[in-house]
Amino acid sequence: MQILINGLISGATIALLALAFASVYLPTRVFHIALAGVFAGAPYVVWIFGQNGWPWSAGVAVALLAGIALSFACELFNHGPLDRKKAGQGLHLVSSLGLYIVIVQIVALAWGNEVKVLRQGIDSICTLFGVVVTRSQLLAALVSSVAMLGFYSWLRFSNLGLQFRALADNPTQLALFGYNTRRLRLLAFALAGLLAALSSLLTAFDVGFDPQGGLHALILAIVAVIIGGRDTFLGPVIAGFLLGLVRTQVAWHLSARWQDAVTFGLLVMFLFFLPNGLLGRKARLEAQA
Amino acid sequence: MNYFFHLLIFFNLYLILALSLNLIVGYCGLLTLAHAGYFAVGAYTYALATLKLGLGFFPALGLGMGVAVILSFAVSLPAWRFRGDFFVMLTLAVQTLIFSLCQNWFSPQAELGTWSNLTNGPLGISGVPKPAILGSSFATIGSIAGLSSVLAVLVGLIIWILVRSPWGRLLRAIRDDELAARSLGKNSRLVKVQAFMIACSLAAVSGAIYCSYVTYIEPSAASIDESILLLSMVLVGGVGNFRGPVIGAFILLAIPELLRLAQLPDSTAAHIRLLAYGGLLVLMARFRPQGLAGEYRLE
Repeated sequence: MQILINGLISGATIALLALAFASVYLPTRVFHIALAGVFAGAPYVVWIFGQNGWPWSAGVAVALLAGIALSFACELFNHGPLDRKKAGQGLHLVSSLGLYIVIVQIVALAWGNEVKVLRQGIDSICTLFGVVVTRSQLLAALVSSVAMLGFYSWLRFSNLGLQFRALADNPTQLALFGYNTRRLRLLAFALAGLLAALSSLLTAFDVGFDPQGGLHALILAIVAVIIGGRDTFLGPVIAGFLLGLVRTQVAWHLSARWQDAVTFGLLVMFLFFLPNGLLGRKARLEAQA
Repeated sequence: MNYFFHLLIFFNLYLILALSLNLIVGYCGLLTLAHAGYFAVGAYTYALATLKLGLGFFPALGLGMGVAVILSFAVSLPAWRFRGDFFVMLTLAVQTLIFSLCQNWFSPQAELGTWSNLTNGPLGISGVPKPAILGSSFATIGSIAGLSSVLAVLVGLIIWILVRSPWGRLLRAIRDDELAARSLGKNSRLVKVQAFMIACSLAAVSGAIYCSYVTYIEPSAASIDESILLLSMVLVGGVGNFRGPVIGAFILLAIPELLRLAQLPDSTAAHIRLLAYGGLLVLMARFRPQGLAGEYRLE
C-alpha cells in the first residue's frame, strides 16, 4: 500500500508534465523540448524570492507567470515563424533542442550548477489511513490533481476547450472554419508553460532542483505521452501514473539504478507492440500525418 | 607543440564521429540521439579488450567495431518502421539503455571485467594502455596524433568512396522517396541496416582512439548530452555531403579555442560554449535548414 501510494504521488508530477507536453504536441505536433528549460528555470524564481525574504506566494505566482511567458515566447519568436515556413517535425525538434540548450546554459551561468532546495530543514510527515507521506508529497498530489481536473473540465466544458480539442483533431479544417489557429497555438504553448512550471515547483519543493534536471523529467513525460497514445489528452496522464507506479516498484524490488532502463524498455515494448499507445486510435503509423 | 597535437587528435575524433553520423542523419534522413552510445561501446570494448584480454590496438579496435555492429541492430531494425519523432524516441531509448548498462553493470566486490562487474560503474575504467601495434608502443602524444590522423583519413576515404558509389546514391534515393526506391526493386531495409552498421562501427573507432589517448573511460561519455552535442555538431556544419560534417567538427573544436582567447574562467567558458551551440542550432533551423555547408535540408 505504501509503495502504491508513493508510486501514485510520483506519477502525479510525471503526469502533470506529460499533460504539459501533450497540450503542445497534440495540437501542433511540435516536439517542445524547450519545456525542459521552463522546468529547469521556474524554481529559481521562487528561490530568489526566498533569498531576498520576499513573500513566497508572490514568488510562486511570478514563477508560474515566467513559465508561461517563456513557453509563449518560444512559439511567438521561434515555432510560429518556423510553422509559417512550413517546417517539418524534425526541424521543430532540432530548433526546440537548441532553445533548451540556450535556456539551461543561461540558467546555469546565472545561478550555478549546484543543487538547491526550496524548503528549509526536514519535511514533516503525516499518517493517513496507515500510509506515511511527507507534507510536500501531499502538496504535490493535491495540487497536481486539482490542476489536472481543472484542465480537463476546461477542455470538456468551455467553448475555448472545444476549439482546442478541434485544433488537436484537425488544424486545417479548424482554420477553414474561420478560427484563428495562430492564437490557439499561442494558448497551447502558454498552457504548457503553466503546467510545466507547476510540475517543476512541486518537484523542486520535494527533492530540490538544479539546471540539468529538466531534460530527464521531460523525457519521462514524453515517454508517458507516447505510451499513453498521442491523440488523446487523457492517455498521457494515465501513462504518467503508470510510469510512477512502475518506477517505484523497480526501485523497491530491484534498485533505483535500473529505473531508467526499465522505463525505456517499457517504451520500446509499447512502440513495437502497441505503437498507438494505451488510448490511441487504431491506425497504421504511415496513415498518420 | 603538444597543444597542437592535442587539438589535432580531438579534431580527428570529432571528424570520424561527424562523418559517421552524417551517414545516418544526412544520407538516411533520420535523426539519432544514440551515437554517443556507440562511441562509448567502442571505448569500453577497447578498454576491456586491452586490459583483460591483452589484445593489441587493432584487434581491440576490431572487437569494438564488431560489438558496435551487433548493437547497431537496436537502432537499424526500428528504422524499418519508424520515422520522425518516434524514431528519435527509440534512439533515445537505446542511448539510455547503453548509458544505464555502463553506469550500473558493476558490483563493488567483484573484480573488473568479470560478469558481475563489467564496466566498473560510475568509477569508470582507468589505466587503459596506450596504443601498441606489432610490439611498438605509441606512447607519445605526437605518435598518437599521427595514428589518429591516419585512421581519420582512412575513415574519410572509406566514406568518400561509399557515398559516391551506387550504394550511396541508393541511400539518398531512399531518403528522398522510400516508396519510389522500393518500387524500383531496391531493398531499402537492407541498405538502412548496412548504413547503420557502418556508421556505428566507425563511431566505435573514434571511441577506441579516445580511450587509448585519454587512458580512461567513464559512463558520462555515453550520456545524452554528448549525443545532443554530436547531433548539433553535424547539423550546424550541415549534412548530406562530405564537407558539411568536416566544417561542423572544425567549429566544435574552434569555439572553445576562441573562448580561450577571451580569457574567460573555465566554468563560464563551458557554459558559453554550449550556449553558442544552442544558439547556432536555433538560428540554423530558422534561416538555413541545410546547415553551413550541407546539402540535405532537414524537414
